[in-house]
Amino acid sequence: MAISKEVYKVFESIVGDYYVSNDPVICESYRSGPGGYENGTGYERVMTTIPGCVIMPRTTEEVQKIVKVCYKNDIPYVPYSTGFYGPKSHPHVEDALLIDLKRMNDFYLDEKHYYVEVGPGMIYSPIQEEAMRHGAYVVIGGGGAQASAIANLIGDGWSPLSHRIGLPHRRILGTELVLPDGELLKLGSLANSDDPFWGECPGPDLRGILRGYTGVRGCLGIVTRMAIKTLPFQPERLQPTGISPNTVLAFPEKRVKWINYVVPSKEAQVKAMYEIGKAEIGGAVTKVPLFWRSIAKAEDKEHFWEMWGKENEKTVANFFIVRVLLIGYTSEEQLEYDEAVLADIMSEVGGEARPTKPSDESWIKNADSAGMWLMCGDYVSVDYVIETLSQATEHGPTYAELKKKYTPPLMPDYGDPGWFQSFELGHQGYSEFLIYWDHDDDTDPVDQFYLDTSIMNINHRFYTSLLGPHQPMYLTGPQYGPNYHEYFLKVKDEFDPKWMSHPPVPLAHDVLIERSPWLKKMKYWETPDDLPK
Amino acid sequence: MDVDVKAKLSGIVGKANFSDDPAQLEAYSIDQSYYPAGMPNYIVKPANSEEVSEVIKFCSENSIPVVPCSSKIHFFGATIPKEGGVLMDLTRMDKIFEIDADNRRVRFETGVTWEKLTTELEKEGFRVIMPLAAMAERSVLTDFMEREEPTNQVYDYGEPLEAMEVVWPTGEIFRMGSASVNGYPDSMSKGGNPSGPGLDFYRFFQCAQGTMGVVTWTNLKIESIPKIDKVLFAPLDDLNYGIDFLYRIMPRRIGQEVLLLNNVDLAALLTENWDEDYEKLCATLPPWTLVLVVSGLLRRPEEKIAYEMKFLDHVIKHEFPSLRLGENLPGFPGVRKKMLPILRKPWPANKTYWKNGIKGASQSLLFHARPMNAEQYISVVENIAAQYGIQIHDIGVYIQPLEHNRACRIEITFFYDPENEAEKSVVRALYNDAAKILLSEGAIFTRPYGDLAPIVYDKAASYAAALKRLKKTFDPNNIMNPGNLCF
Repeated sequence: MAISKEVYKVFESIVGDYYVSNDPVICESYRSGPGGYENGTGYERVMTTIPGCVIMPRTTEEVQKIVKVCYKNDIPYVPYSTGFYGPKSHPHVEDALLIDLKRMNDFYLDEKHYYVEVGPGMIYSPIQEEAMRHGAYVVIGGGGAQASAIANLIGDGWSPLSHRIGLPHRRILGTELVLPDGELLKLGSLANSDDPFWGECPGPDLRGILRGYTGVRGCLGIVTRMAIKTLPFQPERLQPTGISPNTVLAFPEKRVKWINYVVPSKEAQVKAMYEIGKAEIGGAVTKVPLFWRSIAKAEDKEHFWEMWGKENEKTVANFFIVRVLLIGYTSEEQLEYDEAVLADIMSEVGGEARPTKPSDESWIKNADSAGMWLMCGDYVSVDYVIETLSQATEHGPTYAELKKKYTPPLMPDYGDPGWFQSFELGHQGYSEFLIYWDHDDDTDPVDQFYLDTSIMNINHRFYTSLLGPHQPMYLTGPQYGPNYHEYFLKVKDEFDPKWMSHPPVPLAHDVLIERSPWLKKMKYWETPDDLPK
Repeated sequence: MDVDVKAKLSGIVGKANFSDDPAQLEAYSIDQSYYPAGMPNYIVKPANSEEVSEVIKFCSENSIPVVPCSSKIHFFGATIPKEGGVLMDLTRMDKIFEIDADNRRVRFETGVTWEKLTTELEKEGFRVIMPLAAMAERSVLTDFMEREEPTNQVYDYGEPLEAMEVVWPTGEIFRMGSASVNGYPDSMSKGGNPSGPGLDFYRFFQCAQGTMGVVTWTNLKIESIPKIDKVLFAPLDDLNYGIDFLYRIMPRRIGQEVLLLNNVDLAALLTENWDEDYEKLCATLPPWTLVLVVSGLLRRPEEKIAYEMKFLDHVIKHEFPSLRLGENLPGFPGVRKKMLPILRKPWPANKTYWKNGIKGASQSLLFHARPMNAEQYISVVENIAAQYGIQIHDIGVYIQPLEHNRACRIEITFFYDPENEAEKSVVRALYNDAAKILLSEGAIFTRPYGDLAPIVYDKAASYAAALKRLKKTFDPNNIMNPGNLCF
């Protein structure tokens, strides 16, 4: 049902006529489009459409009013911050209201108590800059520094810096959540005070509905304000250096240092990560795949293909680098201590240090996803894992094996098993597997690979990101928990009985399967007849 | 009906693990708090998750309250039945399933005590970061579910709980996080991630006091035991001077265990002979003492201690010249040897609990605050207590810096004679008054037990409304520990 003139006028009265529009040109600009994450996939083609109307609130109260109007008039709506998360951020049903949150970009930093308080329109780049000016830092995820910090914290929120900092869930402090029916839920210390500095709620912690392993894509409400914990950094300035686009952060060499070690085997890589964790040193510890090195060295895409084309299964399989970021949080002497311990560990596993630039190009500030990942035009991080290093280091080869079946159209990568790293000082392990393909190729196999990966995870008893609203819930649900989907849907039905908040999430992938013959032919699981349309 | 219940429950757990004997029921009707007794109708002692599940399923179908109880040591009335029903004693579920040295993880059941877990871990060279003087016979899992904060705050990742299993109020067994994979633990996934699947269900069980279901086992992070420890003390007359010092050093990742105690609490912790030691200690200890443990870890332990001490020396010399941080507390030569076991070992079961030695019983008021506001909140309590005829030198105060001292937990302990009803009433009234005023002045209460619950949820009305909606979806008959929180 199209948004009526009467309702449109109500929206105007809430935000002013400048900040609401149903102009087709404006709405078209919110189409899921080229150059983005998961661009060209079946999900984008089958499940996304342009909004019927766009509105840009400024305050929590305005969001509440908008959502209440939507609920009263049965208008589906979609919260939207920076839209990085590709087609999944976009409307899935016709005539939806897209609530663009970019104007909600308030920012407050508490230097002494290590948090920033932001709106959903606030992106990471200035947060990290200001945090570092005041002796702190945050994790900028692979999504890049232009992503909304709130969206990232309730969606993903990790990087190599998670070696020390850990899960993003634990950095969510006082938060305001406009529930799907417009009621305001204040979480953490905001539940009974005006101070957002503390994350825990009184009694059972309803931060549990903000996300799971990964995000729920706005299907349980809209976060309009969040205090995010920062972590103390070392005190010296990391100096931006170079000419755009070749910029880096130059390190104060006695306080921050990347060191790459070549080690003899994968076993040595894993052993080194465990030992670094047990020794409680380092700010980041990650495997460097050969693929990354080609990206890092390439001046342009042609250069990348020239280098990458010379590799083969043997060179990929025999490339073992552990990259370690040392940070002198305490002092220069602490960094010296960490470096000595690291050298001991590397000596034990047969590692040899390689000359490493005294600067950072990616993980501390830029997290340059756009330039780094578009080697073929289209890409997706098909799956990622936060588990122990036991699992994280073993699941890559299974992906690589499955991927052979879908190459081409997937980019030939010589059996690259992806990358892995330490989380939470080695208590956890992270791994990630990305795929790349040409935009002009038939992408049906890309969708099939995605789905097949989820099936493979079930069969191998892997715990990965392809859960919740990220693959069919009726496929994964019975296999995890078991029946986690039933509990998730109970919560959804309670807080959004009319399914107005970003429908049909969390069942969007279930709907996708039904609408896509190339996926439906793979279906072997049961789905109820009353899936949302 | 009553006979059927007895037959059914004893059929599930076995006759030896069922009781409706009044004498036994009475033992579960009280805890170590001043809250009034409440009798259960039955006691069951399940042996495993399946029995927990069967009991809860039966109770859900018959709308019988279930009160989970993980040990016999509870301080806030949460396990006292408010509406009768089945008291589910989980102490038989005390298995340690595995110690995973590679991933520094232990998986164990709800009934595992601090004594058992720390003993087993120590054999393998590991430890759990612990709350202050955790009681030997108390459940480790419960302490972490109730968000008891460890004295060790050096780890940036905070929360040590990992993936766990629960039984929902309808009786279904459900594994959370990465333990949710089919066939766990016979799986590639080891249970290192508490989050998901779908939602962070584990959050619903935190501080839930058994109202959201029963946690049957969990994975927990473990850490290596340091090779060398240097226990440091600083006597403080001015609390804020010490807190400013912590604002300076804790973001620099100095120290393992760090805490502040007033003379009352420190005296209670150190007292060996209550008849002779306590009063003397209390009278002579400084108003405040900062305790800081600097440790050398598995590798190059001396060098680690050296750089931390160098940093401390520099900061003290140039920025906090009045701070006397040293390995001894002047005038208390034995304190160094005593403190480390207090921080690293459970409080022995055969020794009077430190908070109960003074008058026989105690009640602690716990809340979070910005450290810079700690003194103000303590003054508030001091003023209210004075109105009740209780002086500050009769009140224990423990300040636990949290997350690099960006926050702290303040624990105010009131002591009373459990045989003296008038004294008990005074402390209860004082406790409630103090909570109301502290709450109005911005103190953050996240564990609303007993009398605190209506005070806290009145102010957090919209939060309570949302909690009730959530509770209804999982426990439509409100059988799980009714009468607690806002349920």
